Amino acid sequence: MTDPAPPAVPLSCPGGEGTPLVATTTVDQFLNWFRQGSIWYLLFATACCGIELMQTGGPRTDLDRFGAVFRSSPRQSDLLIVAGTITYKMADRVRLLYAQMAEPKYVLAMGSCANCGGLFQPSYSVVPGVDAIVPVDLYLPGCPPRPEALNEAILRLQDLIASERWADRMKGRRRTPAGIVIGGAAAEA
Amino acid sequence: MGPGEIHERLRAAHGDAILEVQEALLDPVVVVKPERLHAVARFLRDDPALRCDTLRLVTGIDRPPEAIEVVYHLLSLTHRHEVRLRVRLTREDPLVVSLQDLWPTANWHEREIYDLLGVRFSGHPNLKRLLMPVDWVGHPLRKDYVKPPEYHGIPTDRKAVMERRVTAVAPAMHEAKDVPADCFMLINMGPHHPATHGVLNFLLETDGEILRRVRADVGYLHRGMEKIAEGMTYASTMPYTDRVDYLGAMFTNHGWALAAEKLAGIEVPRRAEFCRVIASELNRIASHQIATGSLAMDVGAYTPFLHWIRERETINNLTDRICGARLTYNYMRIGGVARDIDAETIEMTRRWLDHFEPMIDEFNQLISGNEIFVRRLANVTVISPEDAIGYALVGPNLRASGVNWDIRRDEPYSIYPEFQFDVITGQGWRGGVGDAFDRFWCRMLEMYESVKILRQALDRLPEGPIRAAVPRAFKPAANEVYARVEGPRGEAGFYVVADGSDKPYRARYRTGSFTALPMIERTAPGLMLADLVALIGSLDVIAPEVDR
Repeated sequence: MTDPAPPAVPLSCPGGEGTPLVATTTVDQFLNWFRQGSIWYLLFATACCGIELMQTGGPRTDLDRFGAVFRSSPRQSDLLIVAGTITYKMADRVRLLYAQMAEPKYVLAMGSCANCGGLFQPSYSVVPGVDAIVPVDLYLPGCPPRPEALNEAILRLQDLIASERWADRMKGRRRTPAGIVIGGAAAEA
Repeated sequence: MGPGEIHERLRAAHGDAILEVQEALLDPVVVVKPERLHAVARFLRDDPALRCDTLRLVTGIDRPPEAIEVVYHLLSLTHRHEVRLRVRLTREDPLVVSLQDLWPTANWHEREIYDLLGVRFSGHPNLKRLLMPVDWVGHPLRKDYVKPPEYHGIPTDRKAVMERRVTAVAPAMHEAKDVPADCFMLINMGPHHPATHGVLNFLLETDGEILRRVRADVGYLHRGMEKIAEGMTYASTMPYTDRVDYLGAMFTNHGWALAAEKLAGIEVPRRAEFCRVIASELNRIASHQIATGSLAMDVGAYTPFLHWIRERETINNLTDRICGARLTYNYMRIGGVARDIDAETIEMTRRWLDHFEPMIDEFNQLISGNEIFVRRLANVTVISPEDAIGYALVGPNLRASGVNWDIRRDEPYSIYPEFQFDVITGQGWRGGVGDAFDRFWCRMLEMYESVKILRQALDRLPEGPIRAAVPRAFKPAANEVYARVEGPRGEAGFYVVADGSDKPYRARYRTGSFTALPMIERTAPGLMLADLVALIGSLDVIAPEVDR
C-alpha cells in the first residue's frame, strides 16, 4: 500500500521574510485538495462486501483518516460504493441512487459481484457487473476485498480526483468513467 | 416417537390418503394424495400424540417430464420428532391446497414456490411473486428454464455487458407504487435504508406515526443459489453456502457438510469436529456482535457498535489464521475441515477469550442498562410463544419468546452433547417475555455461552487427522436428507435431494431470517414508525438469508 499523496499546495512567501504568509496555488490543486479530503461515500451495502465496508469504517482501518465518512443519503454523497451483488430487481434502484447524487460523483465497484457478477455469473437473477447499469470508475476485486484493499481504492480515487481539471467541468465536458482496476487486471478475468 | 410409529398412527387415521411411505430414505417421507393434504396436515398438527406444531420447510421439486412435487417438513417441538409429507402434482397445472391457515409460516413458503416453480396454492390470500420482479417471465427453478438474454435492457451475459458499458445515466423519475384506495399514507422504507440490514423493502401504511399495515417486499438480493447448486458438485457448492448467511458462514458450511456426509455415510474425525465447533462458536460471537451492535446503532447509539467492530476485528484475525478468510470462510470440507488449528492460534484464542469476557460487561455498562435504550426495546413487539411457533421462528428469536429449543441440545449434531452450556430463554427481563429487549439480551447471554463452549473445546482438542478419506468423485446414491445446525439466526437447514450423480438434484436452504420477516408484517401494525427499526434490529433479519 502506498502512502496517501501529500497535499499539492505549495506554500511560498512572495514578499520575502517577515511578510504575511500567502499561499499561491492553482485553482485545480486548491479545489482538488478539498475534494480529496472529503470523499463522502454512500452507505450502500447490498451483500457480504457490506460487512467488510463496515469493518473498514471501524476503528482499525478507520476510513475517517482520509475524510471519507459514510452518508445514508445519496444527495450528500460523492462516492457510490457498490458493495455487493446487484440483482435485476435491484438494478433500477441503483440507477436511481446514482441519478440522485450530485456531480462530481464516482462509482467504486467493490467485490467480484459488482465487478462482473463474480461467483453468481451463472445465476438467472444477478446483473453481471454493475457497469451494465452505472458508469464505474474503480473496480476493486476480491470476494470480499479486505479492508486494506478498500483503503487502497479510496487512495486511488484521491489520485483520480487530483488529476481532474476544474476548467473541463466548467465547460461542461462530460467525464468518462475512469475504469481503473485496483491491483492490476485481475478483475476482468 | 420414531418414524415407524408415526407412520402407523397416520395410517390408522388417514390410511386412504396415503399413497406410499418412502421408508428407505434417510429421512422418510409420506406421500399423500394432494386432495387429502389439508386433512392429513391438520391431523398431524392437532393429534395430541403427534402435535407437529412447526412447519419447518416447504420445498418444491421439479420432476420433468410430468410431475412437480411439494415436500413439507413438519417438526414437533413438544415431542421432538419430525414428519415429512410429499404431494405429487401434474406439471402442466400444479395446484394444491394452501396450508397457511394451519401454519402462518406457509404463506411465504408457498409464495416462493409459486414464484420459482409455478405451483398454485388454492386458498392462498396473496399468491404473488415473492423473490423475482413482478414482470419476470417464467419460473427459474424449473429444470427446463432458460434465462432470458436481457431484462429491462440489461444484458444477462458478461461478454455483452463488456461490449456496452454504461458511461452515463439520465436522471430518471421513480415510478410510484400502486397505492390501495383505503390507504392512509404510504412510506417506502428500503431497499436502500441504513436500518434494514441489507436490501429489504418495507411498504408502510401509516396514520401519522402509527403503522397501520406493513408489507415486506423482498428478493432484492435473490441470487438464485439453489439453482446454482443444481449445476455444481457437492464440494464446489461449499463457497456458495458462505454467502447464504455471510455473518454466520461457518454454520451454513457446517450444515451443507453435514448433509453431504449424511448422504454418503462419512464419519468425521474427532479433531475435525472440535475444529468445527471452535470456528463456529467464534463465528457465533462475531455474528451476535453485529446483531446487538447494529441494533444499538439503529436505535441511536453509535459507540457500542464501534466497540463491537473493534472486538470483531480480532475474531476476523483468528478466523484468518484458522482458514485464511475474514468473512466468507469456506472452512468446512465434506468429511472434515480445510486446515488444522495450530497451537499458536489456540493460545491466541484463549488470550482473546480472557480479554473478551470483561468486554461484554463493558458493553453492557455502556448500553444494555441505558435507560433510553431499555425503553426503546422493553415491551416493544411482544411475540407470544404461539406466534413464534406458528411463524416457525428459530434460534434466539424463538428462545426469547420463552420456547426452550436449541438444536445443539435437542437435535444434537457434531460433538455438542459433550459440552456444558445453558440454553438461554427469554425471562421478560425488562418487560413482557418475548419483547425486543429479550431478543437482544438472549443474544448477549449467548455470547457468554459461546465463550464457555470455546473454553471447553480448546481444552479438550484431541490430536488426530482433520479430514476423512472422501473419494474424489463424490457421488452419493439417490436419497434425500435434511441436515440442520443451530446458527446465530437460528436453524441453518439444508434439504438435499441426491439422484446418484455428483451434483445435487435439488438443494433447498432453510434459514432463520426467511421465517422471521413475515413476523414483522404480523407484529408491526400499531407500532410507532421508530419502533419498527427496533423490531427489525431485534429480529436480526439479514437480506441474503431471506432471499438466498
